[in-house]
Amino acid sequence: MKKVKKYFKIWWMMSVNSFSVVLGQKLALTMFLIGKIFRFTFFFLFLFFLLKGTGNLLGYSANQIIFFYLTFNIIDVVTQFLFRQVYSFRPMIINGDFDLVLVKPINSLFRVLLGGADIVDLITIPPLFVLVIYYGSTLLPSLSGIVVYLVLLFNGFLIATAFYIAILSFAIVTLEVDHAVMIYRDLTNLGKLPVDIYKKPLRGILTYIIPVGVMMTLPGKAIVGLATTGGIVVAILLGILMMYLSLKFWNFALTKYTSASS
Amino acid sequence: MRKYLTIFRISIEEEFAYRLNFILWRVRNVLQIFLTYFLWSTVYSDSTREIFGYNRTKILTYVFGIMVVRALVFSARAMDVSNDVANGDLSNYLLKPIKYIKYWFTRDLASKTLNLIFSIFEFLLLFIILKPPLFLQTNLFLLLAFILSIVLAILIYFLILFLLSSIPFWVPEIGWGSHFLVTVVIAESLSGSLFPINILPQLLQSIVMTTPFPYLIYFPVEVYLGNITSWALVGGLIVAAAWVGILWFTLNIVWQKGLKVYQSIGR
Repeated sequence: MKKVKKYFKIWWMMSVNSFSVVLGQKLALTMFLIGKIFRFTFFFLFLFFLLKGTGNLLGYSANQIIFFYLTFNIIDVVTQFLFRQVYSFRPMIINGDFDLVLVKPINSLFRVLLGGADIVDLITIPPLFVLVIYYGSTLLPSLSGIVVYLVLLFNGFLIATAFYIAILSFAIVTLEVDHAVMIYRDLTNLGKLPVDIYKKPLRGILTYIIPVGVMMTLPGKAIVGLATTGGIVVAILLGILMMYLSLKFWNFALTKYTSASS
Repeated sequence: MRKYLTIFRISIEEEFAYRLNFILWRVRNVLQIFLTYFLWSTVYSDSTREIFGYNRTKILTYVFGIMVVRALVFSARAMDVSNDVANGDLSNYLLKPIKYIKYWFTRDLASKTLNLIFSIFEFLLLFIILKPPLFLQTNLFLLLAFILSIVLAILIYFLILFLLSSIPFWVPEIGWGSHFLVTVVIAESLSGSLFPINILPQLLQSIVMTTPFPYLIYFPVEVYLGNITSWALVGGLIVAAAWVGILWFTLNIVWQKGLKVYQSIGR
């Protein structure tokens, strides 16, 4: 418990520092905020008008499709809020500044993963939660459906975290992170809509290799009562397995760090 | 002319110097097309369905058209100009016997050439994998109008990029912020990269069409599909050309004013 308190305090301090840097550039902050809100709203409107014209998509109603989109956004925005530091990891490896992290008496993964929370994403989280609750309530879910949804949402965060750790490890081994993280984001973007719309072999890839379906679609299915018990158990086991493998990869990657340029 | 040809050649070689970067950028382009393709393929899974003025063949041609037109219009290097302005690197170019705007336009053309070649391969690969029904335009006049609309789109995008890159003359710290807002978010959304603008309600459509963004992707692809013909086509080309004129005029004023306040910070 003492350790958790210590790390929470460190995270809080790092986040306050990170917010201070961004708040010092108010114009840039405003532009990023407007951009994110515009992008979200425009896709939301697109789905709204599309489904107004078509009535449904693969049998899902307009509110169900919008709920899938909102669930995708919750996982995407929360993970970006927490893990923004990942985007700045490459210079740390190239310049050898990662040495300064390794010599400190805190977990190095904790520092490079959670060291730069993003205030722009933080601002957009509360309205997103309000929308999720509003659209979720229109689907009239059962109590068990809500509980399973929350469990699978947490599982989605776990898988996303595993991916971010794998990207950091990949960066140490190959010095490449920018495109790796953007490709990860492009792939997860395919989860804006239920993965059922994709055909083979893409659907297989999104289910088994990059489990976007488990991360983004399955929680939404739980709310509309389409998730099976077997599917839920496999999803949770997959989340735990991915987390385990990503931590193994991180420990392996650390052995390959060359401290170049330092 | 010869020096710009040399810049063109060097730019191509430079793109190949970072091969992994380039390949991953193309992989990203393919991934981005999947959501759009499968979404529309699902909406038009019934091949007899006609909705929003499209049938299955035309909407999937629209999606494949996006791939090629995007490679031509959105592949550009001119966003790096904002770094030159913000870091003071612009001074290096001002001292050289080249026109700075022509230099970047040449670099853009090199990038477009390379991206176009790759996009054609991707087009063929995806065509073989997905086997979509495609609409082949045979009207020579519409094909010429399509080419002209792409030339105008390239000019509009280049001028928008250069205008945005001029902002750091006054506010150096928002170079990337302004590009994110305008080129990553607004241009991607309003250009028709995700969906044809005419699925929006009439009022929203009219608002979007008053901006230069639909002339980047939506207008050229619609011209190819033959959905815009006769006076609407001529009118659209005139509006696109007018945007080129307005943006060029504005850029000249802004750039000259920017050079007057430029302090070569960081040099």
